[in-house]
Amino acid sequence: MSFCLDTYLQQSDNYEIHASKAGFKDCAMIIRFKADDLVYIKPGDEVLGVRVIGIPPIPIGFDHKKGTVFLPYTKPCHGTSVVELPIDEEEIEKIRKLDTGNKK
Amino acid sequence: MKALVLLGCPETPSQTPLAVYVFNKLTKMGYDVTIAANPAAKKLVSISDPEGYYKLNIIDLERTLGEISEKDYDLLVGFVHKDAAASFFVTFDQILNTRSLALVFSRDADEVEEFVNMIQESGSNATIAAVRAFHNPSPIKVKFDRAIKEFE
Repeated sequence: MSFCLDTYLQQSDNYEIHASKAGFKDCAMIIRFKADDLVYIKPGDEVLGVRVIGIPPIPIGFDHKKGTVFLPYTKPCHGTSVVELPIDEEEIEKIRKLDTGNKK
Repeated sequence: MKALVLLGCPETPSQTPLAVYVFNKLTKMGYDVTIAANPAAKKLVSISDPEGYYKLNIIDLERTLGEISEKDYDLLVGFVHKDAAASFFVTFDQILNTRSLALVFSRDADEVEEFVNMIQESGSNATIAAVRAFHNPSPIKVKFDRAIKEFE
């Protein structure tokens, strides 16, 4: 069974929220600031079993020492949050394939 | 022809009557209309039509996001009155890659400008109808009526 972020956030406490109820641009800035490696994806691309919502280019960040990923997570009434959670190499490689290379 | 109407957070009073208005208008234009909304926004709209007069077709926003593909709809109309709503609109717009209309409104003129910029900076070709409004749906209705003419 594939990983699903929504289910993970409901059933695990092994994640960290770095910003909540924020605007998308602020969250994108936090991801760029905190991550030591970044890829940029398109809105609607699927990461960890969910389509990522946002304004392109959407940064997805990695902390390779900790083995974590930073991603924006948007809900209609709660704005955008930055979620950091553990990720394995296989999922990182899947995300790398989505990289648009467009940082602007 | 199929149209998808995207609702945002239901805390703005104007959204619910306008959702019914837009549904009715698009239906009369010949579109098969679907409204995508979160559970609270869905309830507000469906309770507004107790006799089922409008035959509102309302589906879950996040489930729809997971299921749609390019060209599933011929027209996307989105209510954009929060930062998150702008993000949702841009995301649906990019996935569907179809004709689209963003109804941008807020009680704060700076927010209206900010949401318009977010849509434009995304590279979207959406038609944008923007106005300062919150409680009173009339300014948004007027903007919508004018903008929707190009989709007739």
